[in-house]
Amino acid sequence: MAKRKSLIKIKPKSYKDGEVVKVSFMVMHPMETGLRKDKKTKELIPAEYIKKVVFEYKGKVITTMNVWETLSVNPVFTTYMKIDGAGELKVIFTDSKGEVQETVAKIKPKG
Amino acid sequence: MQRRDFLRNLGVGAAGAVILPSVSFAADAPKPKGSNVLSYKDALKAVTGGKTAEVSAKVNLKVPEIAENGAVVPVTVEIDYPMTDSNYVKAIHVLTEKNANSRCIDVHLSPANGKAMLATRVKLGETQEIVAIAELSNGTFLMASQSVKVTIGGCG
Repeated sequence: MAKRKSLIKIKPKSYKDGEVVKVSFMVMHPMETGLRKDKKTKELIPAEYIKKVVFEYKGKVITTMNVWETLSVNPVFTTYMKIDGAGELKVIFTDSKGEVQETVAKIKPKG
Repeated sequence: MQRRDFLRNLGVGAAGAVILPSVSFAADAPKPKGSNVLSYKDALKAVTGGKTAEVSAKVNLKVPEIAENGAVVPVTVEIDYPMTDSNYVKAIHVLTEKNANSRCIDVHLSPANGKAMLATRVKLGETQEIVAIAELSNGTFLMASQSVKVTIGGCG
């Protein structure tokens, strides 16, 4: 399946070691509940939603989110994290159809 | 499944229905539900494991009072609690009172987060309460709730 558009945003843009920053993960996902009907065919659209989001920083899991279909379309997940040296921040999501995708952001603290 | 059971019961109880005056079956007919159906009570039990969650001002739940569109309701939960290695917020749970599936999101945090906060957007089917529950590392639960008025429902 085509890769879904996703993005990791870190605020503020420049940060130092030991600073606590805001991390947002956004992904383009339909988040179908399985309750909605197709307007033309009048058939139920099968459920398709993100089940799990894992934040991994320097190979260590820092945050795990269990998600249900009650989140909005194109969900955003925002939390904080403590900067602890340069490394990769990976956000991995799994959806109800078994699709797994990884988004990577590089963490480069200044000073 | 519930509808199927209902129809089966209708077939079995057809003889009874003849004798009884038309009981309001329409009122008993369940609404269509998705694959995950979880009432608020069950969800609360699943989260706290039967423990009572204490209402606390430490849990800062920010939701709009009136949501014009129930499909996108921003929810922010901030917990005023230290995040040290031995004493931290273990998890934040967001529940809704009347959605078919009451659970929205569980966030399992670690001291590496530095600050206990979660922001996301949820769907609300109707006017209802949003409940945020914080699970602390010492096993206690804190909660906060706020009602949101929904003009147009966003589920189904």
